[in-house]
Amino acid sequence: MPVVELEGVKKNYMLGQTKVEALRGINLEIEKGDFLAIAGPSGAGKSTMLNLFGCIDLPTEGSVRIDGTEVASLSDKELTRYRREKIGFIFQSFNLIPVLNVYENIEFPLLLKRDLSRAERSRLVTRLVEEVGLGDRLKNKPYELSGGQRQRVAIARALVTRPLIVLADEPTANLDSQTGLRIVELMRRINEEEKTTFIFSTHDQHIMREARRVVSILDGLVVGDGKAA
Amino acid sequence: MLTLKLALRTLARRKGRMALIGALVAFGTFLVVFGSTFASSAKAASKAAIIDHFTGDFILYSQASKDLPSPFAFNTPLPLIKDVEAVEKALGGMAQVEAYAPYAQNYALIQVERGGKSFDLPFIFYAVDPDSYERVFGGAGRSQTGFFGRAPGASAPEAPVQGIMISSYQNDQYRKNFGFSLDTGEKVTLLGVTEGGVNAFPSRLVGIFQPEHFSSVFDYINFMDARTFASVYDYSGVQSLPSSFDSGLAASSGGDDAIFALASDPALRTLDVSKLKSEALSGATMIAVRLKDHSSVDSAMASIAATPSLGVKAARWDAASGFYAQIASGLQAFIYLATALVFLVVALIFMNTLVINVTERTAEIGTMRAIGSDKSFVRGLFLAEALVLNLAAALVGMAFAAVAIALAGSGGIMLPELVSQFLIGGGSLPLRPSLGPFVLALALVAFVSVLATLYPVRVATSITPLKAMSER
Repeated sequence: MPVVELEGVKKNYMLGQTKVEALRGINLEIEKGDFLAIAGPSGAGKSTMLNLFGCIDLPTEGSVRIDGTEVASLSDKELTRYRREKIGFIFQSFNLIPVLNVYENIEFPLLLKRDLSRAERSRLVTRLVEEVGLGDRLKNKPYELSGGQRQRVAIARALVTRPLIVLADEPTANLDSQTGLRIVELMRRINEEEKTTFIFSTHDQHIMREARRVVSILDGLVVGDGKAA
Repeated sequence: MLTLKLALRTLARRKGRMALIGALVAFGTFLVVFGSTFASSAKAASKAAIIDHFTGDFILYSQASKDLPSPFAFNTPLPLIKDVEAVEKALGGMAQVEAYAPYAQNYALIQVERGGKSFDLPFIFYAVDPDSYERVFGGAGRSQTGFFGRAPGASAPEAPVQGIMISSYQNDQYRKNFGFSLDTGEKVTLLGVTEGGVNAFPSRLVGIFQPEHFSSVFDYINFMDARTFASVYDYSGVQSLPSSFDSGLAASSGGDDAIFALASDPALRTLDVSKLKSEALSGATMIAVRLKDHSSVDSAMASIAATPSLGVKAARWDAASGFYAQIASGLQAFIYLATALVFLVVALIFMNTLVINVTERTAEIGTMRAIGSDKSFVRGLFLAEALVLNLAAALVGMAFAAVAIALAGSGGIMLPELVSQFLIGGGSLPLRPSLGPFVLALALVAFVSVLATLYPVRVATSITPLKAMSER
């Protein structure tokens, strides 16, 4: 069963008095364990699609099903719980909580779940910290880290709850090309090892090459779906 | 725990701005604690001063009176208490009562001669039984001759000292207006204006006093002993006639014939007028009652009310003292109002600061919401920040207030003379620390914290996870 199903999805925004059609009828299925890039120029609708995958926005028209659940049928509280349990987020600007150190930032989603012991949380965090190579930075605050290190923390935070899907909105946009590439390689390695579904948006050709599947969109429509060139 | 950790670190991160808020809250708390302590101390001291110098715990007055008694009113005399002795007897039997003092207010003229000319000097006075008045109120103040011959702390003189005592201020007024003053021991004639004309009674000035408390009042009030008062105003008569005579008089109310028939009435025929004793009536219009324990005032007043045959009713000290009892309450209300205004300003500044914080933390809140924090977590986070900051600041404010109270406590607070005179009868105000103002301050700070957080929390919880995604 696909983890993400979009059927006839349209999304409109009002920009002042102007109606903006961000998505104009998207049909898409994403399988579990996929490592998928959504490609397209700025304004194509990449972020809007990710917002729908992440249950932080609802379609104007059409159906979005995540792991078989119709997202539009969930209340705000249920959507929050759904995000907490099923989805991990990696943001373009890292979005770490500035007053928490590396360890605490990664632990944060586990604390929200409230059903894990301190020892269990420690085990999960420590494993991921080693995985992303920040074992010596546990006590550092976000402002003490480089961009690449911050994004590694964000990746670890997104993965710590063992989500069904990890969404990354232009995860390399604020990084230099080498660092960006290393971040995507890290994501890919985790995808292969953990079988976690990764969906990320990008317009960087080098990054796109790392994806197993690339969905290209333009002006709110899917214009290509296949392996990157 | 997570909420508290985030709250503490967020406060530390914005320490400059939050220190300003904390200082305001600490100042507000200081005002609440110190102001409340000051106000409650002033109220207690004012009550004690009024009870000690004007009213006792309550005042008994004639049941026929339509007005409340007031020790400060000299232009509307109250009806006389008919049977002061019966009331005194009843009071003597009440275990709660420590002392009582019948008294009356009135005015008279002091007639003196200077250089062959006669002068009539006006004066208003309390007519008192010096013994009982001193037991309840401790006399009139400093006087070289004591209060009607009673040196402070000494026993009463064997022979009652009769006459008048005037305040030194009053004597100064005589000097200013008439060109001479009176001397202790000087013989005077007292002129009492009654409905039947003017009574003249020879008397003397037995002392000049300097009020130690409430000089704003006692500078103008003089004293006359009760016996002299009864003579000046003719409060004397005969003991009750035999009941048979009374019934004969009652029977004669049918007409003139019946009155003449009284001559043959056996009750009148047997009446031996020479055996009837003349007795001095007190002329008292009020009886100030002092209790051993102030808290038993309601039960003592209820006991009096349960004996209507006494012909008196009771007015509590605060009802009887009117304006004076309101001064402390007014001051307390002013302090509370000022404190409330300070807290309103603090709440508005705090709310505004929190709204700025929320705006600055839009991405952070959006991120928390995106990764699974529900609205209640965000609400709790801001509430925790507000409570941690404000309660910590409140503790600082309370500590400063406690130090200030302790420093002022030993010597009391010096008040402006005018305020002091009207509020507590003069002198410094001793502060009475109690737990109440501290608890009040904590409750107020907690309430203001929650109140000031309502709107910012509403703004914060309206931030959607989309804000996190749109952050670049």
